[in-house]
Amino acid sequence: MPTLSRRELLGLASASALAVTLAACGNGSSTGSSGATGDAAIDTSKASGEVTYWLWDNNQQPAYQKVADNFHAANPGITVKITQYGWNDYWTNITNGFVAGTAPDVFTNHLSMYPQFVSQNQLVPLDATLAKDGVKTDVFQKGLADLWVGPDGHRYGLPKDFDTISIFYNKALVSAAGVKDADLQSLTWNPTDGGTYEKMIAHLTIDVNGVRGDQPGFDKSKVKVYGLGLDGGSGGAYGQTQWSMYTGTTGWTFTDKNPWGTHYNYDKPEFQNTMAWMRSLIAKGYMPSLQAVTGTASADLFGAGKYAMITNGSWMIKQMFSYKGVQTGLAPTPTGPSGKRSSMFNGLADSIWVGSKNKPAAAKWVEYLGSAAAQDVIGQAGVVFPAIPSGTQAAQAAFKAAGVDVTSFLMQVNDGTTFLFPITEHATQIGNIMQPAVDAVFTGQSPANSLTSANQQVNALFTS
Amino acid sequence: MFIAPAALGFVVFFLYPALRGFYFSLTQYNLLGTPQWIGFANFAEIPHDPLFWNSLKVTVEYVVLNIGFQTVIAVLLAVLMQRLTTSTLVRGALLLPWLISNVIAALTWFWLLDYQIGLVNQFLSWLGVDRIAFFADNFWAIPTIAMVNIWRNMGYTALLVFAGLQTIPRYVYEAAAIDGCSEWRAFWRITLPLLRPVLAMVLVLTVTGSFQVFDTVAVTTKGGPVNITRVIQFYIYQKAFADGQFGYASALSVVLFVILAVLAALQLRLLRAGESDLA
Amino acid sequence: MSTVSLQQPLVRAPRRRRVRWGRGLAWAVMILFLVLTLFPFLWIIRTALSTTRSLPSAPSDLLPVDFTWGAFARVLGLSSRAQAIAQGGSGASVNFWLYLRNSAVYATGVTIGQVFFSSMAAYAFARLRWRGRNLVFAIFLGALLVPPIFTQLPNFILIKNMGLLNTLPGMILPTFFMTPFAVFFMRQFMLGINHEIEESAALDGAGPWRTFFRIILPLSSAPATTLAILIFITTWNDYFWPLLVGNTGSTRVLTVALGVFESQTPSGSPDWAGLMAATLVAAAPVLILFIAFARKIIDSIGYSGGK
Repeated sequence: MPTLSRRELLGLASASALAVTLAACGNGSSTGSSGATGDAAIDTSKASGEVTYWLWDNNQQPAYQKVADNFHAANPGITVKITQYGWNDYWTNITNGFVAGTAPDVFTNHLSMYPQFVSQNQLVPLDATLAKDGVKTDVFQKGLADLWVGPDGHRYGLPKDFDTISIFYNKALVSAAGVKDADLQSLTWNPTDGGTYEKMIAHLTIDVNGVRGDQPGFDKSKVKVYGLGLDGGSGGAYGQTQWSMYTGTTGWTFTDKNPWGTHYNYDKPEFQNTMAWMRSLIAKGYMPSLQAVTGTASADLFGAGKYAMITNGSWMIKQMFSYKGVQTGLAPTPTGPSGKRSSMFNGLADSIWVGSKNKPAAAKWVEYLGSAAAQDVIGQAGVVFPAIPSGTQAAQAAFKAAGVDVTSFLMQVNDGTTFLFPITEHATQIGNIMQPAVDAVFTGQSPANSLTSANQQVNALFTS
Repeated sequence: MFIAPAALGFVVFFLYPALRGFYFSLTQYNLLGTPQWIGFANFAEIPHDPLFWNSLKVTVEYVVLNIGFQTVIAVLLAVLMQRLTTSTLVRGALLLPWLISNVIAALTWFWLLDYQIGLVNQFLSWLGVDRIAFFADNFWAIPTIAMVNIWRNMGYTALLVFAGLQTIPRYVYEAAAIDGCSEWRAFWRITLPLLRPVLAMVLVLTVTGSFQVFDTVAVTTKGGPVNITRVIQFYIYQKAFADGQFGYASALSVVLFVILAVLAALQLRLLRAGESDLA
Repeated sequence: MSTVSLQQPLVRAPRRRRVRWGRGLAWAVMILFLVLTLFPFLWIIRTALSTTRSLPSAPSDLLPVDFTWGAFARVLGLSSRAQAIAQGGSGASVNFWLYLRNSAVYATGVTIGQVFFSSMAAYAFARLRWRGRNLVFAIFLGALLVPPIFTQLPNFILIKNMGLLNTLPGMILPTFFMTPFAVFFMRQFMLGINHEIEESAALDGAGPWRTFFRIILPLSSAPATTLAILIFITTWNDYFWPLLVGNTGSTRVLTVALGVFESQTPSGSPDWAGLMAATLVAAAPVLILFIAFARKIIDSIGYSGGK
């Protein structure tokens, strides 16, 4: 799943909202503080009863129901009750549930929320239980399990799936430009002149008169098709689908260490030069302006044939391939100054709430969700990439059966060119500082070096 | 006696949460800890907060546009409804936008006004006019958001005014007509003055309501690009729930509350809402 | 009672010509506003009858793109999960009639309680004289200015502690007794009621209760009906509170259930056709109700001339 864009921030905001009040209401703090169960192992041997489980992706609900049925067959004493809420409502309900004592036993957790939940003692540490039951955490795709270890060294989630970034392109628009699919597979990029990647973007851009972006007479004020789309905005603090696949190739890292870094690097030239390059694409008319993308979802604009290419995440595969009249292709992100590609590596996990009334059964269910038996079933549904390699392969096969070659996403994992989503404290505040700051660079209102002062504000959060 | 049930509901479901919010405004209160009493420090900080002033400016621009157009249009529509037709169909049609949620209204217009594929911009470029980034342009964003809400609420406000018109006895108009008073004059001399209590209510409701504009921004621009649509409720919301500055956000709410209370009192006084010329 | 019909021109013959011209202009303005109001609905209907993933291929067509009733089938819970997903919808199941019933109970409950109790309070504020009246009214009015974000969580906890979570009474309670709007609304209308009627009732020895039930309530029937419609619609469209307090299958209301048509995953786009069909389906009952009641308002118009 993707990290925060502005739309999502809202949902998270309302979630943290309720988290705010955790301390305010006697109710919440009791479950909160007493929840420090330490790392005592939960005895799952006699687990029984009902477990409530929440998720937000309704595309995956059928597959999870199947997993729950299998689980029930294997453990007849335990029934899993699955409830699905849309993304925005989901977090509000979770945190309300923390406060009022009505949260689910087990829930799908997101990297952007979990640092907060950990610091509020809302999650059950899993290490001792997993060790006791002999559940291995090294069976997942490399790195994913590390994401879910808190600053205290305890594990708070068991990975379920992951996502990476690729270029989605419109086959008709690409071949009309005389470009072959193979030409898109090995583009190179650098922040100075954009490399062959920018040349390709320019060539794929057409104005209303049919003049291409790399031809004389190109009218950048009347663009018909942009060579490269922009996913909903500037990408704010993380730019997961907008620019993180470029900055990742410059040797730049978001923070001093990851996870749990305490210093951001938005003041470094590698980062700021990349932002300046993004701005230059807009100025040249090769990429839509922020004004032009404040509106319909980028996927729908891609579906409308407005973009020849757009960078987006693996969770969008299903939608990007469903548009009528658009033949979609996939290409890996370009290689950069480091000579390698790069993609943010992000994932979900299942966590247990400290207030769960049935921790034994909850733990048993989480262990099952983290097993190959469960993740293979999820993989076969062909919606996301499960965290266990056999599940990933099942997903790859399922996508293939549906006519989608997902190599460009998995290539990043197999070649080891992924970097983990930066997990730090203060995620929402950082988003609120960086969103307007990066917006201003994209609109041309401020130069890229203005991000240095935004970086100071961000880092001030960690010193106070 | 008569207000007992309402008072109960008021105290439990409105007053108590409001007082709690006021208490928080005097505290420093982040996501994790317990509220720490800091007196009026939050309030002292507000005047030095450029984002607060920006949000106030943006909100006032919105409110002025919204109220100005909405009130005039509503009165116009109400009078037209009363004079022209008894058709429930017309009335129902005008109320239609109000039957759908804010979110849907905003999303529908978001699509219609989209810069790249929206119908309105297609139409503009067909006319040979430059496309307009309705929701993202420095000049257009706030008027556009105001327009969406006027579209949704004008029928509803017109209905309130219309209900007020219905309380004006017909004999008053008949007498005026016999005196040879034109419809235009009758409107200014009779309708508007007699409409005073209802108009006062409509104004107070729409002013307070539009200061609280939130949904439309939340589902469309999220305050951006940069800060051009960061209205005050959205700013409060972000401070409270994303930045974890619940105390500061509460203080902002108190400031907003005072501004609105003064405005409401002024309006009620200016319009002498407590009395009807009929009674 | 006045029996003048509304269609009758209010101005006498000598000015007829000018009036006609004025009427033409008035109609033109009215029609302009009707078009502005209705056009987006044409758009909503057109979108609801389209295939979601075909919409971007013809973003500014006025007619449905790849016409289908599929979105309505999804909303009414008539299409299978596989069908729904294939059309760009969600795989969630929709038990339409149950949700419709819940919405009806929820909205009706709130409307009845709120109109009645708010009218009582409004009567006290508008017509009775007692110490501190204006102050108490001002405080009530102040509640209009409290951002809802502050009331939502305490109320949620209260309802939970009362053991009313996931019950219809729990959903109804917070707005059952009053909203500042309803009190304000009724008070402003009651201010306009003729004092003489009341005074003559008082002379007949009627106490405040009798006056309220026999005189004030009947006289306020038109604003009360208007208010009832407004409250009903607001409550019917309510999303967040019922989502919080009553989202189990048995108490889920229509708006919450139809929320599945909004975007379920971050950065995806919603099931546009389903969302718009859901909007239309959810609005239909209130629209019908409004048309039915609006007649009643017109019928009761004569009250104000009752002098």
